[in-house]
Amino acid sequence: MQANTIEVMAGRFRNSDGRKARPYTKGRQVDRLTKAEIKALIGESPRRDLLIEYLHLIQDRHGHLSSKNLAALADEMCLAQSEVYEVATFYAHFDVVHEGENPPPPMTIRVCDSISCELANAEKLVHDLEQASLKDVRILRAPCMGRCATAPVAEVGHNHVDHATLKKITEAVAGKHIHPAIPDYIGFDDYCGSGGYRLWKNCLKGRYSPERILDDLDTSRLKGLGGAGFPTGRKWRIVGGYEAPRLMAVNIDEGEPGTFKDRYYLESDPHRFIEGMLIAAWVVGIEKSYVYIRDEYPAIIALLKEEIAKVQSAGLADHLEIEIRRGAGAYICGEESAMIESIEGKRGLPRNRPPYVAEVGLFGRPTLENNVETLHWVRDIIEKGPKWFSESGANGCSGLRSYSVSGRVKEPGVKLASAGITIRELIEGHCGGMLDGHKFKSYLPGGASGGILPASIDNVPLDFGTLHEYGCFIGSAAIVVFSDQDNMKDVALNLMRFFRDESCGQCTPCRSGTEKAARLMAKPEWDMELLEDLSTVMTDASICGLGQAAGNPINCVFKYFPEDL
Amino acid sequence: MGNTIRFTLDGKTIESSDGETIWQAADRVNIPIPHLCYLPQPDYRTDGNCRACVVEIEGEGALAASCLRKPAEGMVVRSDSERARKSQSLVMELLMADQPSREKAHERESRLWEWAETLDTTSSRFPARDSIDRDLSHPAMHVALDACIQCNLCVRACREVQVNDVIGMAHRGHHAKIVFDFDDPMGASTCVACGECVF
Ligand SMILES: Cc1cc2nc3c(=O)[nH]c(=O)nc-3n(C[C@H](O)[C@H](O)[C@H](O)COP(=O)(O)O)c2cc1C
Ligand code: SF4
Ligand code: SF4
Ligand code: FES
Ligand code: FES
Repeated sequence: MQANTIEVMAGRFRNSDGRKARPYTKGRQVDRLTKAEIKALIGESPRRDLLIEYLHLIQDRHGHLSSKNLAALADEMCLAQSEVYEVATFYAHFDVVHEGENPPPPMTIRVCDSISCELANAEKLVHDLEQASLKDVRILRAPCMGRCATAPVAEVGHNHVDHATLKKITEAVAGKHIHPAIPDYIGFDDYCGSGGYRLWKNCLKGRYSPERILDDLDTSRLKGLGGAGFPTGRKWRIVGGYEAPRLMAVNIDEGEPGTFKDRYYLESDPHRFIEGMLIAAWVVGIEKSYVYIRDEYPAIIALLKEEIAKVQSAGLADHLEIEIRRGAGAYICGEESAMIESIEGKRGLPRNRPPYVAEVGLFGRPTLENNVETLHWVRDIIEKGPKWFSESGANGCSGLRSYSVSGRVKEPGVKLASAGITIRELIEGHCGGMLDGHKFKSYLPGGASGGILPASIDNVPLDFGTLHEYGCFIGSAAIVVFSDQDNMKDVALNLMRFFRDESCGQCTPCRSGTEKAARLMAKPEWDMELLEDLSTVMTDASICGLGQAAGNPINCVFKYFPEDL
Repeated sequence: MGNTIRFTLDGKTIESSDGETIWQAADRVNIPIPHLCYLPQPDYRTDGNCRACVVEIEGEGALAASCLRKPAEGMVVRSDSERARKSQSLVMELLMADQPSREKAHERESRLWEWAETLDTTSSRFPARDSIDRDLSHPAMHVALDACIQCNLCVRACREVQVNDVIGMAHRGHHAKIVFDFDDPMGASTCVACGECVF
């Protein structure tokens, strides 16, 4: 006992003969009817790893998770009640309702309050919605929805409203428009018609060897586009070097505020990624791939289910089992080991390393985890030749980057451009310049995590590694542009609140550090000594990248924007 | 036992056999390293969450949890460097900010207070979190989560050591909370009062 939180009154917990006592009939009992209902919903022989999927089934059916249903689920799965409860309460999209509590209203409106939406007056939108007192509706704040170019964004049920206004939202509510709009994308037939899956078929026919693909990936210098920038060819070789069976996890959790490139590619050309995944699995020798998609992307979940089924019926995925998994509202599940925990049906807690997931990953097996965009480029790299990719860089860097640009620019959106271009080139050459009346002041080079740079540092190439000396990094290339109308102290507070809300809560520096930092940063005066100490302990002693990056906004404000304090 | 390696800890050369962690090696040669979430008892899995035991390993970016990390041949480790000590004591100070003060502590001799004292961290400069109520529903045990440091030991005790499966860690981030069943009052939960979680 650390701090003696559970105190024992001496001698009262054993029988006189020394055996464990169970003096009360205790705990929640399960009624037969509810159990039958749950069984009908989740089917025979439930799987432990599907717990989150089952929770979705119940939440979707009833609009919440009652303790009655949770108890029946635990019973049906032969799990402890506490184990079901701790998973259900970890994820933001589940509503646990205890006996005697009221369930939430039938309709939920989520308003994004992350940085790009805050710039676009999300606060006022929340306020207006609260004032409008809509009937049978609840209003929640939510983190980045991956639509930052059309900020502010709200979600009515599962229907995302871009450039959201009170009027648009109330109309969606009144018309019960709660389903996601399925985008117009390149479907299976069109993809095949324009040469799709030819490369993959040629692999199967033996016209390419796995070694040849790996060599091309090495030559292309493709690096992981999820944020860490690990060379893809090398990663595939490492995982392939461990003993089979090997597994794969595809990262479609895209939660870094300001990032929306993965959504863009999946909503326009999903098969390019599927082909890349099939090739990866074949090269590395993978048995089963789990495609983990954030719950904020319901349209993508629907379209991938449909398109993957087509690929399977065409006999193109015979060597690989594919399972789609739905997240449940937790940014941390984008961190690869947290994602693995989540796929196993648990709370999304990042793991301590070593061992790395390449060696000990999903269900203890060697696991290849790739970002979806990384896989998206595989076909083009092989077909166009690896040099096409490696020589696309600028200013001494190599490769292409899909910059997600939002904030105070005229034309925000996904900009496919050379890796290594500068922020000036990006704003002027790709985004139509700054918004009228806004003067370029600063930018996030890598979402909430990558720090904040001032406009004076406008000539550094944007790439992996190049921003390190400035205390920043590019990560997923989520560029948020600020102007003279934005205060960096407010920006940093918004970022810190995001970290606080999304921390898994496992390790002290991040769980407690983000909470204390957000408190201190909300004060009119920042206490430099305390905040610098928090930044130090979070950076040095946290388990994962969330906590390790959470100090970046603090450091950057002190270093680059003292006038805003 | 596997092969023996040599590494340095706080300037001392230490021989270590495969499988031993840095913390265990340190303990063997009487170099104390703070630890809260780690219980040096065979049944308890090491979790590495409190970060009180972090050490600096030459050539590595972040600090490492000594309760988990195994030394490697030639590794240069410091538990007493300025950087390591700073994080160790800041971890204590963070936890202390959310504790009742030592005078009012439920258990003044708890490991947290002892280690904090060793590290000369006896009060906290940080603002406290919102307070949490105590659970006095059980006739034999009281749950005082206002003193909880989320070390997860009681979950391991209940789930992995005794396999009673009553205690869990619910919610996330700074809302993370020890619960019995569905966050039921302990006295109404399936708790069998085995007492393992009290260590
Ligand atoms: C806090 C945190 C959040 C992350 N979120 C994502 C994410 O949403 N999508 C993603 O692809 N990678 C994310 N990553 C990076 C992954 O851990 C991992 O490096 C990546 O998925 C590997 O694929 P890649 O090599 O193809 O980039 C995140 C990392 C951290 C530390
Ligand atoms: S750094 Fe934060 S998110 Fe990562 S493991 Fe620690 S508490 Fe969880
Ligand atoms: S209640 Fe559990 S998690 Fe909290 S300090 Fe005690 S043993 Fe650790
Ligand atoms: S959608 Fe609001 S910040 Fe990304
Ligand atoms: S004792 Fe090592 S992390 Fe807690």
